[in-house]
Amino acid sequence: MKKMFFLALLSMMFFVLAACTEETAGGEDSGGEGSGDGGDSKDSIVIGFESDAATLMANTDVNYVTDAQIRNIYEPLIERDIETKDYVPNLAESWENIDELTWRFQLKEGVTFHNGAEFNADAVKFSIDYILDESNQSFYRSRWVDIEEVTVISPYEIEITTSRPFPDLMERITEDLLIMEPGYVEDVGNDTAANEPVGTGPYQFVEWSRDNHLKLEAYDDYWKGEPEIKNVEFRYIPEFSSRLSAFLSGEVDLFKNIPVDSVAEIENDDNSKIGEASSSRINYVALNTFHDGPLQDQKVRQAINYAVDVDSLLENVLNGYGTKITGPLSPVNSGYVETEDYGYDPDKAVELIEEAGYTPEEISLTLETPSGRYPMDNQVAQAIAAQLGEIGIQVDVSVNEWGNHLERIQNREMGDMFILGWGPAFEQQGTIGNLFTEDAPYSSFHDEEIDQEIYDANGTFDPDDRFDAYAELQRKLVEQAVWVPLWQQADLYAVRSDLDFEPRVDERIVIYDMSWE
Amino acid sequence: MLDFIVKRFFQGILVVFLVLTAVFFLMRLSGDPTTLFLPQDASREQIEAFQHQMGLDRPLYVQYGEFMGNAVQGDFGESLRTQQDALQSVLDRLPATFQLAAAALILALVIAIPLGVLSAYYRNSIFDRVAVGLTVIGQAIPTFWMGLLLIFLFAAQLKILPSGGAGTPIHMILPMLTLAFYSTARFTRFTRSAMLDVLQQDFIRTAKASGTPTFPLIMKYALKNSLIPIITLVALDLGELLGGAVITEIVFSWPGVGRLIEQALMTRDFPVVLAGVFIIALIYTVINFLADVIYAYVNPQIRVK
Repeated sequence: MKKMFFLALLSMMFFVLAACTEETAGGEDSGGEGSGDGGDSKDSIVIGFESDAATLMANTDVNYVTDAQIRNIYEPLIERDIETKDYVPNLAESWENIDELTWRFQLKEGVTFHNGAEFNADAVKFSIDYILDESNQSFYRSRWVDIEEVTVISPYEIEITTSRPFPDLMERITEDLLIMEPGYVEDVGNDTAANEPVGTGPYQFVEWSRDNHLKLEAYDDYWKGEPEIKNVEFRYIPEFSSRLSAFLSGEVDLFKNIPVDSVAEIENDDNSKIGEASSSRINYVALNTFHDGPLQDQKVRQAINYAVDVDSLLENVLNGYGTKITGPLSPVNSGYVETEDYGYDPDKAVELIEEAGYTPEEISLTLETPSGRYPMDNQVAQAIAAQLGEIGIQVDVSVNEWGNHLERIQNREMGDMFILGWGPAFEQQGTIGNLFTEDAPYSSFHDEEIDQEIYDANGTFDPDDRFDAYAELQRKLVEQAVWVPLWQQADLYAVRSDLDFEPRVDERIVIYDMSWE
Repeated sequence: MLDFIVKRFFQGILVVFLVLTAVFFLMRLSGDPTTLFLPQDASREQIEAFQHQMGLDRPLYVQYGEFMGNAVQGDFGESLRTQQDALQSVLDRLPATFQLAAAALILALVIAIPLGVLSAYYRNSIFDRVAVGLTVIGQAIPTFWMGLLLIFLFAAQLKILPSGGAGTPIHMILPMLTLAFYSTARFTRFTRSAMLDVLQQDFIRTAKASGTPTFPLIMKYALKNSLIPIITLVALDLGELLGGAVITEIVFSWPGVGRLIEQALMTRDFPVVLAGVFIIALIYTVINFLADVIYAYVNPQIRVK
């Protein structure tokens, strides 16, 4: 009798299990066996990302994850040479400044979009007008408001006029603008174009399953020649440990943002290597001078610069992954000049504080940090608090949720000090102009004299004069000890050992340049 | 009976309304999304212009009134991040979540009911003790850890199952196991105690005494009578599986509703959060409503109360 009972139970289990597989098989429609074959078939690559692109429409979402992916589909007019940092032609062949308000660009001939349409001046005009059109809700629009008009001169020549001198235009064109196909977007509408993009880039769209994957394939008629890697999959894995497991198991070939404490695990794996680039993104401790308090005193700010041992933080907290900076700009920045390093000198720090009329013990400061936004940010904040504690300054560290951190800065509700990163930072104005004026809260420093100098430098059109003006400003900002400069972030990538991949200073994932060994 | 159904129906609507109201105001308390969407170098004026464009600069009660007015018509607005219809984004993810929840629920039941029944029948035997021990472990292990453990073992070490993603039934195995783990433990314990109650009752003893064989005794008399409370638990758990699979969905990169809402919360994508909460509240309410109606049908005493 008992046997009967067990048999009945068993058959019931099988029945329900069968129903279960039927159900699971029935509902799925996408993909087939797209996964797990990173190993042998060497014309494809799987790249892991922490989140999905918000949209596949170009010129819309200001976000690294979106940009890194769609730049393989769309192309810019101008690229940056990552060695020399110079602007180099891409879809634009040459450009000239007619006067301070007028720019002219000669475009490349013979380039086609993935749908066969010809690339020409209309496409450039369409793409810029797209950003400027309020109804498209482009998050880039705020950077482009100084554009007055885009005029098509001939099929391969375009003129841009600005409402005021806008030396930053070259940077905007290089960093922001990607070229879309006007005929296609007008035909299918924004919604479809945002899901099934068409560009001139080396890869064309195949399939996008939101929060799951984006698949691309090589565009054979690409004007620079056929890409070596034929099939690309971006896979979205929100949790880091899962991403790491997917990489170690061979499902994923490449992903960015490895925490410094996970580097060893990847290096110890035979099929893996670490890719490292010194990013243009810089991390710093802002010293808030918007409120009354000791930080409004230059000597106290200098003292804090002397009391923070950046070399030690780099070595002990970041395991050496990062490149120290001493001023407002990193050497990657085209306007960089060398500035004096405060160095670590706790005695000098105490001396300066006393000169300012305080004792270190009287000074009590807050330090706010996000957690996980920048490499070891929270731990860096704790270590800085301890270093300042050594000379007697009491520091209370608090951790903010990222959105809240940004909002507190923006609303000028921040306490005395906070940790923030800034980038990509390739030219002077984007950093100095946006950080050290009264309008900009991201360093929360402001000084009327410096405000005026920044304003003058921004308006300077001649490149040499502009360089000199900003060089002078850098020295002043260091002397004023406007913040505690920390380092350029090290961008760390987990890379399959036989993948030929060179991490770029601008964080871009250029699959066209990659190949399997 | 009709009175009862109508009353419960309106109570359900009230619940959904209150949930939406609470979440609307809680979301606004969490802050403004503008800084997260605009580039860091956006100026004060540009930020204000964006807030104005999105209607975020208006008084809260005006925003709330407009939101409710539109929500009643099924319009939750567009996602701030993707500019897609918020409700549609949630509905697009719903099948994936349903699939996972249903698979996990079925798996849990298939394991838990026989296990619970046998445990109760062989009470205090070694089998029973092991089963009870396992259920305690099952309820104690956090989903997050369980998921990572399974990934580590089956994907990273053995390399026989994908670590995450969706696309084929194979992708479903690990998240299904993770999700089913906790429910299995819960159901087993519940089935066991419900069975124990029933097995001690007079009619079972009578049936046994009159020579009813073991299998019909358990299936026909005991299990059937302990099923009603189990069904309630299953209904509640289904709601939980649908709304609470967030962690499993994130660990296994499963493209479901939970993950969408989590991402929307982190980026303060208000419309998507509200649409997601609406759908989950609705599912919860509907399941509870159905459970109530079935109960009332089965047990007239409830109707009177």
